[in-house]
Amino acid sequence: MTSAPSTAVSLLTTEASRALGEALGDGEAVGRLRASGASALDTLAMPSPALDRPWKYVDPAALDLEGFSPPGTASEAWDEALPAGALLLRDGATAGRGPSIDGLTLTDFGEVPEGALERLGEAVAVDGDRLTALHYAFLRGGVLIQTKANAEIAEPVRLTREYSEAGTLATPHTLIVAGVNSRLTVIEEYRSGDEPLAVLPAVELLVGPGAVVNYTSLHRWGARTRVFGEQRAITERDADVRSLSLVTGGRLVKSHITSSLEGRGSSSEMYGIAVGAGQEHVDFYTLQDHVAEDTRSDLLFKSALGEQSRAVYYGLTKVGLGARRADANQENRNLLLSRAAKADSDPVLEILTNDVTRVSHGATAGPVDEEELFYIQSRGLTREGAVGLLVRGFLGEPLDRSALAEGVREELSGLVEAKLTALGAGS
Amino acid sequence: MTEAPLLEIDALRANVAGNEILTGLNLTIRPGEVHAIMGPNGSGKSTLANTLMGNPRYEVTGGEVRFLGQALDGMAPDERARRGLFLAFQYPVAVPGVTVVNFLRQAVNAVRGEDVPVREFRQELFQKMELLKVDRDFARRYLNDGFSGGEKKRAEMLQLAMLQPRMAVLDETDSGLDIDALRTVADGVNALMHENMGLLLITHYQRLLNYIKPQFVHVLIDGRIVRSGGPELAEELEESGYDTIEAAASPA
Repeated sequence: MTSAPSTAVSLLTTEASRALGEALGDGEAVGRLRASGASALDTLAMPSPALDRPWKYVDPAALDLEGFSPPGTASEAWDEALPAGALLLRDGATAGRGPSIDGLTLTDFGEVPEGALERLGEAVAVDGDRLTALHYAFLRGGVLIQTKANAEIAEPVRLTREYSEAGTLATPHTLIVAGVNSRLTVIEEYRSGDEPLAVLPAVELLVGPGAVVNYTSLHRWGARTRVFGEQRAITERDADVRSLSLVTGGRLVKSHITSSLEGRGSSSEMYGIAVGAGQEHVDFYTLQDHVAEDTRSDLLFKSALGEQSRAVYYGLTKVGLGARRADANQENRNLLLSRAAKADSDPVLEILTNDVTRVSHGATAGPVDEEELFYIQSRGLTREGAVGLLVRGFLGEPLDRSALAEGVREELSGLVEAKLTALGAGS
Repeated sequence: MTEAPLLEIDALRANVAGNEILTGLNLTIRPGEVHAIMGPNGSGKSTLANTLMGNPRYEVTGGEVRFLGQALDGMAPDERARRGLFLAFQYPVAVPGVTVVNFLRQAVNAVRGEDVPVREFRQELFQKMELLKVDRDFARRYLNDGFSGGEKKRAEMLQLAMLQPRMAVLDETDSGLDIDALRTVADGVNALMHENMGLLLITHYQRLLNYIKPQFVHVLIDGRIVRSGGPELAEELEESGYDTIEAAASPA
């Protein structure tokens, strides 16, 4: 990143960042990160398609992010009662919360006790690039989800974030800290209206020894929302992190999803599902980073693309020198439902040790297979019905493998179904 | 033999990828009849199976096929299926993400033209699975995904059992089966066969015909039937091979 920051008139200035922090009454940790984010704005440029491989197909400098206003500071009226383990934020302000659950902290950054946020910024660094710097400089709506050692949270935690302020920059931050041997499932749902919106979400997953965290993000953005997200998990010894990203809406949804397997014997499963319509553009960059010995990772990302929609997948499996006996698999599959839809897929391996158990990858992109259609039609289903069945099966596989409870899977299937129906992809 | 034919194939010619494979094939099958078509590799066995079911990769260039008195030309595969035609595939394709039970339910509803109540459907499914000696957890697996050769053939027979066609074409159903599996599959087919149904076995080897007994055996060479006879013809083939018949059939 060598080029100078944009010189266009920007609303996202160091002064604006400081004013936001004052208005929100930052605590120590958030204040510190906000300040370093703001000062990094002077030095960090936007990532560039020419220099940064994950940005090959999207040029953030061309999107005039800095023309967006900083997040507002208004508080929200308290919403009606929510179930236990649920938290609702509107435009970054808490708007409802269910009863508390033993062993679980679920609260926005404004209410956490001093010291509880000392690990903020550990997984997603402030100075990654100009986008992460902007995220921290204008952070609003941080949520801490933390489990005590050995806590088993039976029901999924539901974190819902709705945005409706036109022309603003949204900066949701979710910090998940799982204690030793704890069990936690989090479903974070993002929604926005039809107004233009820029979103820089960050999700940090700090998974303690022996802990199991299942994190799902539902991207149900409005038609004029552009999203640049960073999600990174760091696993300690024998920890297990699973994530699923489901994208059913948004003009541009670009997600960087990383699992850093730093603890021996830890593992990561990453799943992704996208259904594209209209001009939607979904762009996934994934990194399976094997640092420690005996680590395992699996990845399956699938997109079904209708109309003029587009999917980009660039995924890296890295096996470091110390990651002996690593076992890694990476698969990206794209189904083109129209001639104008387009998919780019580029899975890459980078292996530094010669002592691996297995490292494999695969990628495909193409229309529905004619032989499969013939087979299904030969059993009496119309061509349209056969396409519908194939597409649903195709997208259902990551969901089946996600290890989410059946009720949650049905809910997610319903979101996929609604999008496919709107797209007219069989039934 | 006075009943109206189920299937009438009249001077059928068909191309695949621009090559003529079927060169004038004639065959009539009536209710209650079991026919076997035997032929060496490349004689057109799979082309016949695919053409009957309406695979769009195969182009009919001459002749006609009538099923229950109706010309099949230009009819989509699903319509053929709904009219009661069934093909057990030699190489069934895997459909990851779609479970056997989900697939069967949709197929049964499509072919019967009504939503069969779930309870009723399950009862019927389990009964047919027992008949074909397949495990119950088979139903929850993705269709043909990671199936062994034998499992794929059993899945085909399970579909046959659930769809209850008037006319079933079995394309090389014996290939990839060990002797126990072959016997199970054959017992299942025999139990499903009835006097209003027709059965066409397409096979390279005589082995299957020890378990499913045809009344009529036909020899397919170079895209047409060169000899027809009773079960004894299959035995003759087993002893002397296709070469003798091929030599006798080819124009000198």
